[in-house]
Amino acid sequence: MPFRIHILAVALVLTAGSAVAQQRIATLDDTALAAQACNVCHGSQSYLSPTMPPIRGVDATTLYTALIELKTDKRPSTIMGRISRGYSDEQLKALADYLSKN
Amino acid sequence: MTKTSFSRRNVLAGLGATAGLLAAPHIASAQASAGRVVVIGGGFGGATAARYVKLFSPDTDVVLVERDATYITCPFSNYVLAGIRDLNSITHRRDPLRQRFGVRLVRGEATAVDTNARSVKLKDGASLPYDRLVVAPGIELNYAGVPGWSEQAANTVMPHAWKAGPQTVLLRKQLEAMADGGTVIIAPPANPFRCPPGPYERVSMIAWYLKNHKPKSKILVLDAKDAFSKQGLFMAGWESQYPGMITWIAGKDGGKVESVDPKGMTVTAGFGKEKGAVINVIPPQTAGRIALDAGLAEANGWCAVDPASFASRKAQNVYVLGDASIAGAMPKSGTAANSQAKVVAANIAASLRGVTAPTAVYHNTCYSLVTPDYGISVSDTYRPGPQGVAVVPNSGGVSPARAEAAQRKAEANYTMGWYAGIIADTFG
Ligand SMILES: Cc1cc2nc3c(=O)[nH]c(=O)nc-3n(C[C@H](O)[C@H](O)[C@H](O)COP(=O)(O)OP(=O)(O)OC[C@H]3O[C@@H](n4cnc5c(N)ncnc54)[C@H](O)[C@@H]3O)c2cc1C
Repeated sequence: MPFRIHILAVALVLTAGSAVAQQRIATLDDTALAAQACNVCHGSQSYLSPTMPPIRGVDATTLYTALIELKTDKRPSTIMGRISRGYSDEQLKALADYLSKN
Repeated sequence: MTKTSFSRRNVLAGLGATAGLLAAPHIASAQASAGRVVVIGGGFGGATAARYVKLFSPDTDVVLVERDATYITCPFSNYVLAGIRDLNSITHRRDPLRQRFGVRLVRGEATAVDTNARSVKLKDGASLPYDRLVVAPGIELNYAGVPGWSEQAANTVMPHAWKAGPQTVLLRKQLEAMADGGTVIIAPPANPFRCPPGPYERVSMIAWYLKNHKPKSKILVLDAKDAFSKQGLFMAGWESQYPGMITWIAGKDGGKVESVDPKGMTVTAGFGKEKGAVINVIPPQTAGRIALDAGLAEANGWCAVDPASFASRKAQNVYVLGDASIAGAMPKSGTAANSQAKVVAANIAASLRGVTAPTAVYHNTCYSLVTPDYGISVSDTYRPGPQGVAVVPNSGGVSPARAEAAQRKAEANYTMGWYAGIIADTFG
């Protein structure tokens, strides 16, 4: 049950006067680590990509459905089909849940 | 995902003095208590590692040592050669790492590492103690690897432009100065080297410039290899976009460069001698000098690591990542370095607290432009395996061989989004 294990309660809080970064890692487990890869193209809470669809905070079912459809070539894509085939359905479900909340 | 071996009891025990952070997450990060991490090198690998250690473990003191004031990315430097980007647009500052994440930035050159005493020596005499060290110095160019060539020749007449900056500008100026009808020679090295698709994207981008400005010119690729990354896609792209302009000669067909003459501007390869108006020598490479000097490299010049964590095989409490490492199936790319850095950061955060780290998963996507509207990619997901980092079976791969112009255009758009995204993810 990796989602229940709170490893590091992290809020990025810096010294007085500096901006507070918005990205939060509530837990550091397999899913939280895997999800950081998505930031490179899709961005994080503090950065939105100009050309890729946002995925953070999107409803978990919507994300999971999209990932499975990409994985099975039901939904056309450039690279997300190739990427989603790197994960089991359970891993994609966990990633969708994580991204919807973080 | 697999169950982690983290447990609440472990974590709380491991947190020790910082356990209060759980209850009061707004404790200032200046109160360093969860170890000292030094990172050598503020490129894609090192900057990401510094940032993500702070993200996963904000009370850790993170020092990033970097010799250059700004970072000029190799990604998109080929577009500077094509004239579709300028150097300014690929030059980035690291200040957000300090301002937004609390990373301490130290400008200087690391000259030695004492892995027993756990300290890093800087050129100015200072020394930085560490509990965990990240070594991410990128590559060192082997000038002696190409007979007749030298650092001086590279800086004046036969640039490598394999580290972005003045050499990128020099190569661009040479292309601009060249007469229509000249031959541009590009000589990529044998594997392994930084950015396997890079030389061929460079061929494409120089072809784009020549097609639009000097259409009678030719490009001759003298390769040390018999095959290259995304070869089918590149070659089909060259045929359709630049017919008759590009000749690629494989190593087995005499393409391997045997020597160069910077004075006569000639290259001697297995098949004979060729004169070039512009000659771009991409030499063999090793891990960055500090990794060699610190005794972290194997005889082949690259650093062996544990595929599950990128911990050095040669020294305790040291991690080597990015181009300098031997990363199994992963290519030497900025995206790969960024991905490895997150695994390293998670391992460091966990090890400083005495708990087990999450399971590693790595990712790489390399986009290349054949024209500004024609993008292709290779993308893979990787996991640690017994033989090193390996591609997850039945996943990943390259863009389809046959695709509508719209798909190529979409990948070109995504190339732009990827760049903006990785810069934001790496430097803040
Ligand atoms: C033409 C070209 C195109 C490319 N395109 C792409 C692309 O589209 N996508 C992609 O993912 N990758 C691309 N790459 C590859 C990418 O640039 C590298 O893989 C990436 O930079 C590796 O990151 P790194 O952190 O290992 O090393 P680097 O980015 O080289 O960073 C190393 C840093 O360490 C510093 N340093 C070294 N030694 C010391 C020392 N002793 N003390 C202090 N500081 C030190 C250096 O100044 C440098 O800033 C391309 C490369 C080239 C050449």
